[in-house]
Formats: sequence, C-alpha cells, structure tokens
Amino acid sequence: MKRAVALVSLLVLTAAAPFENAKLDGEAFSRPMPGLDAARSKSFYAGSGLFRQAWMIGPSRDHPDVVGLGPLYNRLSCVACHVKNGRGAAPGDEGGVARAMVLRLSKPGADVHGGPLPHPVYGAQLNPEGVPGVPGEGRAVVRYEFFESKLADGTAVAMRRPRITLEDLAYGPLEPTTPSSPRNAPPAFGLGLLEAVPESQILALAAKNGGRANYVFDIESGAIKLGRFGLKANQPSLKQQIANAFAEDIGISSSLFPGENCTPAEVACLEAAKGAPRAELTEAQLAEVLDYIRVLAPPARREKGYARVKQGEALFEAIGCAACHRETLTLGAFFPLPALGGTPIHPYTDLLLHDMGKGLADGRMDFLAGPRDWRTPPLWGLGLAGKFGDAANFLHDGRARDVSEAILWHGGEAQAAAEAFHALGAANREALLAFLNSL
Amino acid sequence: MARKPLDRANPSRRSVLLGAVAATGALARPVLAQTATLQVVTSFPEELTTRYEQEFEKTHAGAHVQFVWKQSRDALEQLSRADQGGADVYWAASLGNFPILRDRGALRALEVDRAVLPGKLGAQQLSDPSGFFEAYDIAGYGVAINPALLAQRGLKAPRAWRDLAAPGYAGQIVMPLAGKVGFSPALYDIILQSEGWEEGWALLSEIGGGSELLAQGGGPVGAVKEGQAPLGLTIDFLALQARANGLPIDFVYPERTAFLPGHVAITATTRQFELAKTFVDFALSRAGQRLMMETDSSRHPARPDAYEGKPAANVDPFALPPSASFAYDTEVGRRRPGLVVALFEVMLNERPAKIAVLWRAIHTAEAKKPLGGEALTTLKEARRLVGLVPVSARDASDPTFLERFAKRDAIDPGLIQRWRAEIDAAQTQAQDLLARVGTAP
Repeated sequence: MKRAVALVSLLVLTAAAPFENAKLDGEAFSRPMPGLDAARSKSFYAGSGLFRQAWMIGPSRDHPDVVGLGPLYNRLSCVACHVKNGRGAAPGDEGGVARAMVLRLSKPGADVHGGPLPHPVYGAQLNPEGVPGVPGEGRAVVRYEFFESKLADGTAVAMRRPRITLEDLAYGPLEPTTPSSPRNAPPAFGLGLLEAVPESQILALAAKNGGRANYVFDIESGAIKLGRFGLKANQPSLKQQIANAFAEDIGISSSLFPGENCTPAEVACLEAAKGAPRAELTEAQLAEVLDYIRVLAPPARREKGYARVKQGEALFEAIGCAACHRETLTLGAFFPLPALGGTPIHPYTDLLLHDMGKGLADGRMDFLAGPRDWRTPPLWGLGLAGKFGDAANFLHDGRARDVSEAILWHGGEAQAAAEAFHALGAANREALLAFLNSL
Repeated sequence: MARKPLDRANPSRRSVLLGAVAATGALARPVLAQTATLQVVTSFPEELTTRYEQEFEKTHAGAHVQFVWKQSRDALEQLSRADQGGADVYWAASLGNFPILRDRGALRALEVDRAVLPGKLGAQQLSDPSGFFEAYDIAGYGVAINPALLAQRGLKAPRAWRDLAAPGYAGQIVMPLAGKVGFSPALYDIILQSEGWEEGWALLSEIGGGSELLAQGGGPVGAVKEGQAPLGLTIDFLALQARANGLPIDFVYPERTAFLPGHVAITATTRQFELAKTFVDFALSRAGQRLMMETDSSRHPARPDAYEGKPAANVDPFALPPSASFAYDTEVGRRRPGLVVALFEVMLNERPAKIAVLWRAIHTAEAKKPLGGEALTTLKEARRLVGLVPVSARDASDPTFLERFAKRDAIDPGLIQRWRAEIDAAQTQAQDLLARVGTAP
C-alpha cells in the first residue's frame, strides 16, 4: 500500500527527451522508446516475453520453444534478477541467500584472450540450482557487518559490509583464495543507447579523466574489442552480454555460447546434457531479446528546474562526481530509431574502468579490469530505484541501501569526491541528493 | 561441448567464505550446512514464486524451495510418472490437472482447517471435496477498462457480459485468442456457463464481431493500458497488477462472472512429506496468503481472513453479493478447454471480418424503427444463424464427447470441417435473411 501511495506522487509527466519514457509508473523501466515501427514493436513484445519467460526442462508439449534450462543455473528467467528491468535485490540486513546476485569464479591466470580462467570444478559462475538429478553447485549466503560513517557535520550514515559464505558445495571444496566476484543484477534499460555511443568518444574521455578502457574478447568476430557492458565492462556487445547471461545464469546455450555449462567434474550435469542442442536459444529468439533490450527506454528526469536540484547538479560537478559520471554522451548511428542518431543522451557514465579502492575490491582480474576496478555505472533512473518493485540496492554487490551509503564506499580515484561529499554541510548534501533523486 | 574445464573433483558439502570478500575483511570460517531441497512444480510467475521462496526460507532454516516451471500438459506428464520427477508439491492454476492426478493416485490427502479455509465461494466448490488438493487463490474474470479512453469515446463501463455486444462497443474491445492465451478458455467458458451454451456462443460471436482478437504482445491488458482499446476481456490479476502499479486502468466484474481457483497439493511419492506439508501450510496460512496480494501479484486469496485490512480498492470475493457470481461447474469446465478452443477458432478466429459484417448488418436492421412483426422474426432467425454453434449443449457437457478434444493435436479434422460447413451454410442463410430486411451485408 505504501508503494501505491508513492506511485501516486510520482505520476507526473515530465518533458521527456525523445529516447526517454515519460510515463513514470510501475512500468517506468519497461517501455520502449517512442516511435518504433510495427515490426520493431512486434519484436519488442516478443523479446519482452522471452525476458520474462521461466525457462523449462525439456522436452515440453506446452512450450517446446523455451526448453533447455540448466542443467546448472541460477534462476529460471531474466526478470527474476533484473526485477522489473531495474536492480536486483541484495539480501536484507538479516542476511540470506544471494538470489539476484551471481558469483563469478575463476582461478589465477588468464586465458588466451586475456580473460579470466574459469574455476576448474565450478566453472565461471556459481550455479546454485540444478535440474532434478543434478546437484546445484552450492549457495552464496550473504551476511553483513554493520558500522557507521560519521560525516563532517556529525551526521551518522549507516553502512554495511557484506561477507559471502558458500554453503552446500556439492562438487568439493573451494579454496578461500579462489578469485571470485559478486555481481548484483543492474538495470536493463538504456543499454541500446550506450551501445550506440562511438568508441572514439569513450576513448577521448579516458584521456581526460584517467579512466581506462577494458579490452575484451568478442566471440562473433574473434577479435579483441572495447568492453562496455557488465559491471567490469567485460562484454563488448549487447548481444554477447545477453547470450552470456542466458548461458551462465539460466543454462541456455546459444550460437555464441554453445553447449552446456558443465565441467567434467559435474558428471550428473554432463549426463543430463546429453542430446541437448548446441543452441537452445535460437538466433531468432536471441535477436528478439536483443531488440527488446536495445530499445528499452531510460525514464525521464523529474524536477529538473527546481532550484535545489540545480544547486545539487552544480555540486555534483564541483566535487568531482561528474568527471566519471559524465552527464552527456552523444549517439552515433542508432539503427532501431535512425532519427536518434547524433542525439545527446544523459546516462551519467563514461563506460570506463576506474580504481574504486580497497573497500570495493573483489580481488579478481577480468580482462584488463583489475581487482579494484569497476566500470562507472550509469545513473539514469537512479531516483526511481526502489519505487516500483525493483530494489534500491546499489554498488556491484548491492551493499548500499541508499545513495549516501553508496557514495561513502567510493575510494581509489573517487576518494576525493567521496571526501568532498563527507565534508558537505547538511543543506548542500540534501541538494546533491535531490539532484541524484531527480535522475 | 562442456564450457567448464576440469582440473580436479573432490566432492564434499562443506562451506567456505571466499577470497572475493577477503578484500573487504571477510572471515574464512567453514560452515557446515545441510539444506533440504523441496521441489515444487508450478506454473505461477516468478514474481509470485520468488516471494514464497524468500519468505519460506527466511522462516524455515535449512529448507530450500526449488521451482520447476511447467504448464498444464507438461506438469501432468511429469506428475503422472511413477517417480513424479522427484516433485514434492504441485502448485498451479490448472482446473483440469488436479482431479486427474487425484484419480491417478498421484496426490496425498491434505488436512486443512475448514474454519479458516472454507474451500468454497458461496455455492461454488473451490477445493477438492475428498481433500487431495486445496484452493490456494481465486481469480475472477471480466473486463479491463481504460477509463480516460472510455470517457473520451462517450461510453460507459459495461455491467454485464451481454452489454459488450451493444453496437456502441463495436471496435472498442480486445479479446484474447482462445488457442493462444492461457486463461482464455476459462474466460469464455464462464460466459458460456453464465449465459447458457447456445446463447453464450451467440453472445461471444456478437462480441467478437466488434472486437479485435489478440494473441501475443501485451495481450488485452497491454492494449488497454497503452490506450489502444478502452475495453479488454481478461483475468482480473493482470489488470489489477497494472492498476496497483499506477497505470490508468480499471477492472469490472460483470454480473454473473465466476472466480476460479488455483490449487496446491502434495505428491504421493514425496520423500519429504513433513517439509512439503510445511510449505503447503505456509502457502495457505494467513501470512502466506497475503503475499499474493502484493502489488506485483494482486491476486485473491482463498482464505477469507487474509483480506482483513486490505486496501479499499481491492475486491474481497467472499464479501460480494451472491448475484455477483454464479456457481461455475468445474467438473464440466475442467473438461471443456479443448472444445472451447476448437469452436472459438472456427466460429470467431477463422472469420473475424465475416461475423463483423453480419452482426453490423443485424444491428443496422434492428436500429430501424418501427420494426414490423415479420422483420422482427426474420432478424431473430438471422441472429440465431449467425451465432449458431455446431455442438449441442448436451454434448458440451458429456465427458465422453469432451474427451475427443482433450488432445488438441488429435482432434478429428473431419469433424472440424463439418462444423465449418454448418457454420458457412447458416451464415449464408443469415445473409439472405438480412437481404430481405434490406440490410444485406
């Protein structure tokens, strides 16, 4: 009921940019950009259905087109983690099983393309679930340590630090030194626009703000390319990002990730996978999901003209946040909606890697992304997080329960900005938060 | 091809805290865990099942709920096998499957407290009288409305199924395709049972003549909420979810609609009876039942006390006047989907333009005043012919006849062809009659 009241207060139509969704209701993150033609609209809804689809263990008489779950997997559908296309929920303060979060695993070293080496027994990602007869690999259980961060004016900000325990490991022990990286599901909207930002623009930003590009393996071309998707910019294209998530999270193979996700140690998994097609997700289905994600519109900004928001925007620039969270990028060609080519967009990211300090480090290499590096996450839609049923959990593992907590975890290259936030008086801090809430 | 390489295998089930969090000061203290996994076969959406998983596991340490998602035929196949695929609980909205599984000895008897779980809605039976499956939720059927669009077009909300056939609503309604949208056979059978078999099909034909049939995309609710049509026939929770999420949509339960149950049951072969029972008890508890009322599910509990303190806008089916719904015959209804789908295909989906023209011609003729006795008789006959259903009411309630449509891919094509010919002939005859009253299409 509280949410319903909150919704009423948000149902304000704002002047939206041509790529934004102006209807700020429970589908704020689920609408296409305006102006799709009939064919793209049809593909959008088909992709939406696949994104929401709970995948099944085959064979199926009811839905023979959506079978192939697992044998090992995390969840049944995309939307289970990308809740309403927004952020996934991290476990609450009482702790619990990580459901909307995956745990990437590897062993020291790099593969021939410079990418992480999958763990020899558990593979590239912990899959807690197995189809009947196949033991799930184990469960990542999050517990928190709580502490306070005192701001310069004496205000206390509640903080929590996650600790992840692996329970029910079914295929043998994992060394505590196993490189691993928790990744909470990020929002799914606006990604098509980020894909259309020219590479030269991103590299030009790197020259200005010290950010670094990740260069990763592009399966389709067999070449090393600029990474721009994923929390460590470890995927070169939206198509590969989507196909990888299908493969690792749901156990659905595709042309880019053929075959099943079993290691030779996982005998029951291999047995269950016998006879499975090389690509359970057809090219047409992959194209539909891609079409869907490409045109999912970011929500429109609110309260842009308010004095306090403008003050906060100036502070965002002044204390250094905007150096990495770049307000504006400009689209190159955007083929789903050609008229948008050349349009400025406002994602508040540079798509580059930055050292975020020890406090956020995962200790794991991911192509050129070091253990302390994270890609600057886009901030569009930030103020709507948690308003429509998605989660308001921020940072790569969802540890931050509000924006202040998230800012205070910033270290490394962002240390100075975090310290400046720390030193802001209450009025300026509120103005900065009002600005972030308007995104 | 295996994507994961192997270095070694050393099975164990101990727990460990990883280096990923060592950087944030984690402890590397192994923890023993013994988690019992409960397999629940379900067709409910993940928005709903995930909430039950979260809340159940929160309060039942050491239990893990694993959902295996299967729709009707697939679930029936798995749960009819000797080992039932390892399933412990079946939890779904499937009027047809639960009685079949009960009769096959695939379910265990449940014990429920009838003081809080009546198992009935008015005169309508919701739960299995012999106690093998229990009503979990009840879903109503009716009309999703875009109030602004309706007002803009000068129309009022319908109050009864029959209102939807009024000429003023022509072109304003979207209907789900019976063979493509899962809830629609039940929706149409509610209209058929509410209005009567022949009268119901005539009404569906007349409504269909002024409607667009939708298969995919956002379905009727999607079309209504996005302003493509002011009215859409649907199951209630899809519209109620949209309304709860702030979308400009409302929902009307027409007079004499029905609320149909989803059920929960424990499998006969479960090896974790106590855990299965605990899960079922949780799903049927007041707290468990209230989970389905959350914004993104917006469903109706089968337990009356779960409605206490509900938002005013939410309907409590147990508090509605008796005239709001009728006692839907689930024994007939559970066997009818195949027949309803087959008839809908031939009567509506194969000929949308034709029935649109015929019903428009009838409405035009009926609008001419005054109508003489002969014209009235002629139009009455034209109505009968345009809405003619080529299956008798008796056959439509006969389990042996209905069994012929149980497998949709095994329906006799000759029979369908005979229906088609009968409908064609009737509609040609109707066309001639309409020519006599001067409104030949």
